[in-house]
Amino acid sequence: MINIDIGATAVAVLTLFGIYSLMAISLNLEYGVAGVPNFGKALFISIGAYTAGITYTRTLPLLAGFEAIHPCGPTMGGALQLRSEIMASQPAAGFINLALTFLIAAAVAGAVGFAVSYITLRLKEEWFLALVLLVGGETVRIVVRGADDFICSHNGISGVAQPFYFVEDPRSSALLFMLLALALALLAYVYSQRLIHSPYGRMLKGLREDEDITRGLGKGVSLARAQIMAVGSVIAAIGGALFALNTGFVNTNDYVVNLTLDVWVMVVLGGIGNNRGALLGALLIALLDRFTQIGAIALNMSGSELEFNYVRFIAFGLILIWMLRNRPGGLLPESRLTTNAHDVAKGLIGR
Amino acid sequence: MPPALLTTSLVNTIQIGSLYALMALGITLTFSVMKLPNFAHAEFVTAGAYAALIVSLSGVLNPLAIMAAAFVVGALTALISHIAVFKPLENREVSLYTLILASFAVGLIIRYILFLMADYFNLFDLRIGIPLTILFREGSLILSNLFAWVVPTSILLVILLTLLLNATPLGREMRALANNSILARVIGIPVERVKNYTWLLVGGLAGVAGALWGLQSAVNPLMGWAAIISVFAAAILGGLSSFSGTILGAYVVAFSENTLMLFLNFNFGVDLAYKPAIPFIIIIAVLLLRPQGFTEIFRRAGDLDR
Repeated sequence: MINIDIGATAVAVLTLFGIYSLMAISLNLEYGVAGVPNFGKALFISIGAYTAGITYTRTLPLLAGFEAIHPCGPTMGGALQLRSEIMASQPAAGFINLALTFLIAAAVAGAVGFAVSYITLRLKEEWFLALVLLVGGETVRIVVRGADDFICSHNGISGVAQPFYFVEDPRSSALLFMLLALALALLAYVYSQRLIHSPYGRMLKGLREDEDITRGLGKGVSLARAQIMAVGSVIAAIGGALFALNTGFVNTNDYVVNLTLDVWVMVVLGGIGNNRGALLGALLIALLDRFTQIGAIALNMSGSELEFNYVRFIAFGLILIWMLRNRPGGLLPESRLTTNAHDVAKGLIGR
Repeated sequence: MPPALLTTSLVNTIQIGSLYALMALGITLTFSVMKLPNFAHAEFVTAGAYAALIVSLSGVLNPLAIMAAAFVVGALTALISHIAVFKPLENREVSLYTLILASFAVGLIIRYILFLMADYFNLFDLRIGIPLTILFREGSLILSNLFAWVVPTSILLVILLTLLLNATPLGREMRALANNSILARVIGIPVERVKNYTWLLVGGLAGVAGALWGLQSAVNPLMGWAAIISVFAAAILGGLSSFSGTILGAYVVAFSENTLMLFLNFNFGVDLAYKPAIPFIIIIAVLLLRPQGFTEIFRRAGDLDR
């Protein structure tokens, strides 16, 4: 049998939970609340990750007072060593670089999200947006992979260390990173809760339920859609940057359609339109992820030929279908929205 | 670019385009009759390819028998997906996005079941081993019996499908359903039965496409998924409703991926790594600039939205 370090596993699961929460909350804002079918989640997540790949290789050495070494090709090893040394010895440079990563990722992803929503205005059928986003994500992935110097094509960038890498004890370092991920997730949760429960949030739900009526009520539907795509994309990109830091690699192979589906599973499982549901979905998927990994290792060590990692995807598919068929609202369905106006109206009717 | 390369790439265009056409017609048919953009179509192709591979490994080397096995397995996979997943969802009148998501999930399940199977029995990257003979050789251009199987079979099946759609009662019922499902139900068309037959047909054709694909290149669990975007590009070029448009679209996509890509590579130094981006660019461009695809060019036999 294998020994499972319960503390380390818990930290790993909670870190993943924080990162997945950011992704799930962003999709919940876009699809759950505003009804925009973002099947290009991997694109916006990857913007965060690619930004991390670029800042770690370009700005980090500059911030630490070194000359940047070209990250790809023959100087790859030297550049990687320089990155690791800076991250281990100069925490300040690491943190400033991380802040820079978040800023650039948020700006780029927000702008792309805002611009992409413009496409809907031109499409014949609404679901084409889903297709355009899906396909757009893959196109960007292929172009980034093809561009040699960007993030070193198919080699990717390794040594994208998390900012607490300088802490010598690996357990406390992982713990601190977990706290960072959870704090950002909490921030996103509080922000999106406030957004949903504002008049603007109710307008977004109106957009989801019936676009024409919402427009008829004098709301700027197209602008609202662009805004919520921008907000969702910023959150997703922050999640993507953390995702890259958590694995330590930036590689185009991670940002495929399956990642988009993972985020959709979280939201559908937890509850479409309900942020708590999105958090629950993120937690369950983080747990499932970790335990299928442990299961795969245990099965391999017991000498079985069966590749357990494939079972993860089958399980995901089955969960998704079962939920869509039997619990379309998710585990925590969206609750009825009531405002003061409801209470006043009830009082007037006398009920 | 050298003429030898040009002819080889044109042969590839015809061969791959025929396969794309076979697959894309399934997408168009599912979308028209069932109102479902079915991403699990890719996995019907892969399932058919594996059925063909297993039959060929068991010693049956007759291409017709291999294709028949692929047809049956593809058709059953499609029908089971319909009964287990799509029908219950349609009955609940869920949104289109739910259906798209469900089709992804169905594809995911089939794909990774095939992965498990291929891993367990070591069936990765094998070719369906019918004996190879060279029919024609002229310089660097070689036509084997594979070409003679793939191209005529695809074209024949496309013609048969068009005939079925235009000249049989089932085809008429399918077109009625595609045109207006409520009206079709009102005039007494057995909607459920027609849908079942459509799924069998779509899955079967996808399965045969998988078998033909496996004849020319290796069978692996990702083969259908790897082609699905090209196939969707072809179907979207056909406006997702026109048969002739879809067939033309399939050859256009295959041409851009093979001949045009080589041309760009030779004359402008575009890296061949960008080849997978071509269908994506086609899809985005068509959806944005000309969402009706080729439908207005072809307003003739075989169109589903007449």
